[in-house]
Amino acid sequence: MITLSEYFMTILITCMIVNLGLALYGVFFKPNLIKKIIALTILGDTANTFALIVGYRMWVAGVPSRPPVFTEWRTNNPLLLMIFTKTAVDPLPQALVLTAIVIGLAVTLFLVFLTLQAWKIYKSVDMRDIRRLKG
Amino acid sequence: MRHWVGICVLILTILSISFVVATNINVLVLSTNVKELAKDYLMYTYYPWDKYFTAMSPEACTSIVWDFRGLDTVFETMVFYLAIIGAIALARGIPLKLPREVKGELGLSLIVKTVTKIVPVLIIAVAGSIALHGHLTPGGGFQGGATAAVAPVLILVVFSQFYLLKRGVNKNSMLLLRSIGLTGIGITAFAAVLIGLATGHYAFVLQNQPKPLAPDVSLPAFVGGQLISGSLWFFNFFEFLAVAAGFTIVFLLITLPEKLVKTEEKEQVEEGEKK
Repeated sequence: MITLSEYFMTILITCMIVNLGLALYGVFFKPNLIKKIIALTILGDTANTFALIVGYRMWVAGVPSRPPVFTEWRTNNPLLLMIFTKTAVDPLPQALVLTAIVIGLAVTLFLVFLTLQAWKIYKSVDMRDIRRLKG
Repeated sequence: MRHWVGICVLILTILSISFVVATNINVLVLSTNVKELAKDYLMYTYYPWDKYFTAMSPEACTSIVWDFRGLDTVFETMVFYLAIIGAIALARGIPLKLPREVKGELGLSLIVKTVTKIVPVLIIAVAGSIALHGHLTPGGGFQGGATAAVAPVLILVVFSQFYLLKRGVNKNSMLLLRSIGLTGIGITAFAAVLIGLATGHYAFVLQNQPKPLAPDVSLPAFVGGQLISGSLWFFNFFEFLAVAAGFTIVFLLITLPEKLVKTEEKEQVEEGEKK
């Protein structure tokens, strides 16, 4: 027998796998360059969410997991630090995702620029039209 | 109608597959524990009892990003700037300048403009607090910079590009700000080495707190009773400047009016023919 939370978690992960598939389909088979870029951002966000789930930690005995921020640092109490270490989630995937989002935004802007340039030269963002032209 | 049928089939497929997977396989259940490495990160992110291992920042993500894996983040900043430089290079030859005459009133209606006069101030304030408290609360230079770059976009859309250009937010001033940010990141990375050279001790690049091989050199964790976590505050501040300015350049170039670009290209072609 499964609990409701396990079922929801499985739905989430299945949805993300389907999302990956849809995003890859969009990147490979959509002819419109803008739609390709949108699919690429969806792909990146799904990969980031996967990274976050890898570092997540289940609630222990109904106590929620904490973000990796030690808010009681002013007390200088080693006991609170031990409790923090036992309940906080993994900070490493979050640190990776943090930079991945901003770099993803920069790369997206670069791709948008490329598309803009293609539109200025060819008057089209459709790959089928651009492929037919030469030069 | 056909779209709805497809979406419904997709949702039903996902629900049934997850039901089958959840009832039969137990692999998707999350662990109640994290990896040993993560425990070390969480333990030593703020650990004033042993200065050789800690980053002295209560925020584990920031201490990973700028201390434990600092060199990695420097290269990530490089990737970010390669993308921005690529975008600027694609827009080369298009000068950002004011038009000779502007016909009529530019921008959206008076209501939108009045609201937009207030909102960018709030956006910049929030972005500054995200960036400057990056070592205490969730946030940091990257997120603060990306938030601050929203304010020029808002002004670009609501007021028009010339409003920004008239007030000195142009490509060159933003390039200057970006260069100040990147130079600051470089100086902060070599700060410990420079202190070590001046005092005659060993030190590492990107060093923050004292290390077992360089016990005499460290950047101060507290300044005037305020926790600044050594180099982390400076890294966050300069990264904030650099990211905000870099995004502003790209947004300025991407919203260039097409008419302006075309007339510029025509003039350049004519000048080339004359020569």
